[in-house]
Amino acid sequence: MTQSLGLILGALLALVLFVYTFWPENAFASQREKTRLDFLQERKEQLYENLRDLNFEFRAGKYPEEDFVAQRSQLENETAQLMAEIELLQQG
Amino acid sequence: MATFGSLALVLALALAAYNLFAGTIALRLLATGHPARISPERLADTARRAGIAGFYAVTAAAFALVWSVFTNDFSITYILEHSNRALPAAYKFAALWSGQEGSLLLWAWLLGTYGFVLRLMHKTDVKLYAYAGTILAGIQVFFLAVLNFAAPPFSLFRGAIPPDGNGLNPLLQYPEMVIHPPMLYLGYVGFSVPFAFALGALMMRYPGEKWIRITRSWTMVTWLFLTVGIFLGMHWAYAVLGWGGYWGWDPVENASFMPWLTGTAFLHSVMMQEKKGMMKSWNVWLIFSTFLLTMLGTLLTRAGLVSSVHAFAQSSIGSWFVTFMCIVAAVCIFTYVLQRSHLKTEHQLESLVSRESSFLFNNLVLLTACFVILWGTLFPILSEYVQGTKVTVGAPWYNKVAVPVGLFLLFLTGVGPLLPWRATSLRSIRRNFVIPVIALWAMVVVCLVAGVRPWTDGAFDAGNFYALVAFALAAGVLTAILSEFLRGAGVISRQTHRNILSATWLLTRRNTRRYGGYIVHIGVVVIVIGLAGAAFNRNQEQELALHDKLVIGPYSLEQVGATQDTNPNYDSDYALLDVYKNGKKLFQMAPEKRVYAASGQPQTMVAIHSLPTWDLYVVYEGTNPGTGQPIIKAFLNPLVSWIWAGLVIIVFGTLVALVPNLSSATAAPRVAARSTVPEPVLKGGD
Amino acid sequence: MGAFRSPGIWMKTAQAAVLAVCMCFTLGASDASTRFDRLSHRLMCTCGCAQLLGECDHYGCPDRGQEAQELNAGIAAGSADQEIFDSFVARYGATVLAAPTTHGFDLVAWIAPFLVLAAGLLGTVLLVRRWKTNPAVAQTAAAASDPAAIDPAAKALREQIRRETDFDGGAGL
Repeated sequence: MTQSLGLILGALLALVLFVYTFWPENAFASQREKTRLDFLQERKEQLYENLRDLNFEFRAGKYPEEDFVAQRSQLENETAQLMAEIELLQQG
Repeated sequence: MATFGSLALVLALALAAYNLFAGTIALRLLATGHPARISPERLADTARRAGIAGFYAVTAAAFALVWSVFTNDFSITYILEHSNRALPAAYKFAALWSGQEGSLLLWAWLLGTYGFVLRLMHKTDVKLYAYAGTILAGIQVFFLAVLNFAAPPFSLFRGAIPPDGNGLNPLLQYPEMVIHPPMLYLGYVGFSVPFAFALGALMMRYPGEKWIRITRSWTMVTWLFLTVGIFLGMHWAYAVLGWGGYWGWDPVENASFMPWLTGTAFLHSVMMQEKKGMMKSWNVWLIFSTFLLTMLGTLLTRAGLVSSVHAFAQSSIGSWFVTFMCIVAAVCIFTYVLQRSHLKTEHQLESLVSRESSFLFNNLVLLTACFVILWGTLFPILSEYVQGTKVTVGAPWYNKVAVPVGLFLLFLTGVGPLLPWRATSLRSIRRNFVIPVIALWAMVVVCLVAGVRPWTDGAFDAGNFYALVAFALAAGVLTAILSEFLRGAGVISRQTHRNILSATWLLTRRNTRRYGGYIVHIGVVVIVIGLAGAAFNRNQEQELALHDKLVIGPYSLEQVGATQDTNPNYDSDYALLDVYKNGKKLFQMAPEKRVYAASGQPQTMVAIHSLPTWDLYVVYEGTNPGTGQPIIKAFLNPLVSWIWAGLVIIVFGTLVALVPNLSSATAAPRVAARSTVPEPVLKGGD
Repeated sequence: MGAFRSPGIWMKTAQAAVLAVCMCFTLGASDASTRFDRLSHRLMCTCGCAQLLGECDHYGCPDRGQEAQELNAGIAAGSADQEIFDSFVARYGATVLAAPTTHGFDLVAWIAPFLVLAAGLLGTVLLVRRWKTNPAVAQTAAAASDPAAIDPAAKALREQIRRETDFDGGAGL
């Protein structure tokens, strides 16, 4: 390939990429701030996950009864607090 | 094509620089809320597109280099030095990364590819992706700057262009070499992505831990590439270097192992952050160090700081890398100091006896292993500074120091899964340990009976001792993992009345990460068994005249002749050896010696007969100049094939872990709960 | 192999299996060559290939042959390991030893990793202990186990949570 052909191809590539980058277009994604509610929902899902896991591991024989009950009520309390806040935010 | 390639590289640098600058300004404007003439979100989007366009530009440059290799364009110095006309097509691709310029271009291209995928997926979380994309652009600017100014792959050869190139290094003309470097690089480069997300999340004070979930598959895929890359490299060393081993604790091998260790630690400890919001600072630093270690690895491989059989390309790009690493470290420290209040732990550890604490110890040991390797690599420099003499820190030192650490890690691999998340008491789960411990001691007895004894002729034999410990721990850990599967499957089987096999299947589908992870652990155990086999390696070197015999283990190798072969790329000499066992002829082996035409370099090709019990490994060492007879070195390496089998299990396990969980009926309420909320939320943010 | 004399078919089968697997572990080689093998794996090839003398295999190595000869001479003369190493160090410098020695500053190379591991272990255990006795954690734990601390609204929520997260054994899958 000759040098001039290389130059032409390079210039062409530059043009195409420039146009692609700066093409005026209105549809760009907006940067939404993550809300407190989003965050709480995520946390709730994770806590649900942890609770299911706890249940499963208990059934698999990894906890003695009293440990399990204590752990579960602790997790449930935390989740309940979270859900109360979610409800509050959803009403507001 | 050289002109086109050079132009494409300049273009790529300009685009990456624009991405970095526009991205930074846009994010800054958004964060501070300053009024600006242009919408910052629009500016951020042009930055993102510049990133995508940059990928096309790097691709064009890589294509130009490949094109030049295939069209034998020896006017380009790089092509002249790394290829020749007779080189087979697959190795022409390998020429792309056999030299420094080419491999840096590969780095940049892979980074571009990762960034391309990431930028296309930005709708998942536009802001977080904007941060991550901008950070990736910063890394890309560095590599493209090196490619444009310090190591240009398209520089032209001055003077009359020779009719043929110098050819590819014979050591690299081996099938694995076509995939080993790209795999390793995919692993190295891939850690840029979780790094960019972690740094970005910290910069923007990202609420919650969802970024971990977003990057989870990235991290796992990257880890898999790095693992496969390392093992392919081991297999290459084993099959090509011809010294009968696969890991020589060479600085370049170490350099790839260090980020693997910290990356593995990160994969584990990040689960604690995801589940319980713990260890946030720790994880951030783990991924920062992993990224810096990948840079160090590239630096060691590419800049020839240390003497090594692997440093195929050496030059002065070292200062570029050192500067870049300093900048990265400064940015990391600055961001951390500024935002560390964001990393406060939400939970504390409840008990020493819990999955969490086992992860703590796992991290500790992995990092100690990393320290051991770093220490061994740097000690010669330290020694020279302190006592004025340089010393060698070679394989014997690593074997003695790293093996105990590795065995301790293996021990944790067995204990960890048996401990539940959160707290419990040791007493209550003691029975879970009974069977694994029995298996462990049973294996000790079996080994002692079989002759794996920690002493030979009254003297303590460290190799045998470690092998014994490794086999015993392997038995214990395997039992522990299997019991974990069975226990889980038992629960499902009781609830759904399935048979245990289909229950195990369901169990794995429902929590692919955990059980996929356990499969990976099984792979690790299998590998350890293979590694422990090295304690019983033996070898025999002998000059063999026609019909002479070399005896090793149960085999007897008879020289029955020699043959030659020639092709445009190289000439070969083969020694033909009939292998007998118990007086019966089993098969023939033909170790080979090649002389490559383009480079004039000789290279041995090992003949390997691999069985589950051992590898019979035969090298054509050369000929005795006095007698003209071939010198044959034979190795009997027990259990080596277990290492490669273990790798296959690891790959399988990681793939399982990458499959999304089967959404169970238990997940139904979760979905319902989710769908009641998000609509107004999504709109509310605009 | 006295341990193998107990009767029983399963025992015999086990013997056979164990023997088959462990055939590979029975070593046998002449003394001088074993010693050469052992010592050459503790010395470096000095040509700059960064390989152990016993493993250096690159074609046309300028130094391997001479080093091997010296080592063989040392073994034939019946010198002790240390004497052989000393003569190598005298001739080629300290870098000819594949690992640091165990005296002087070199000892630091051996100790540091284990020191770091021990310090890390101790640190981790102490950390966990401190976390455990952390009053904030103890408080939440106490609150969790205290039924009086739960008001009715929270109780309803908790029941909902328990319903939604109870393990249902995968019914409906």
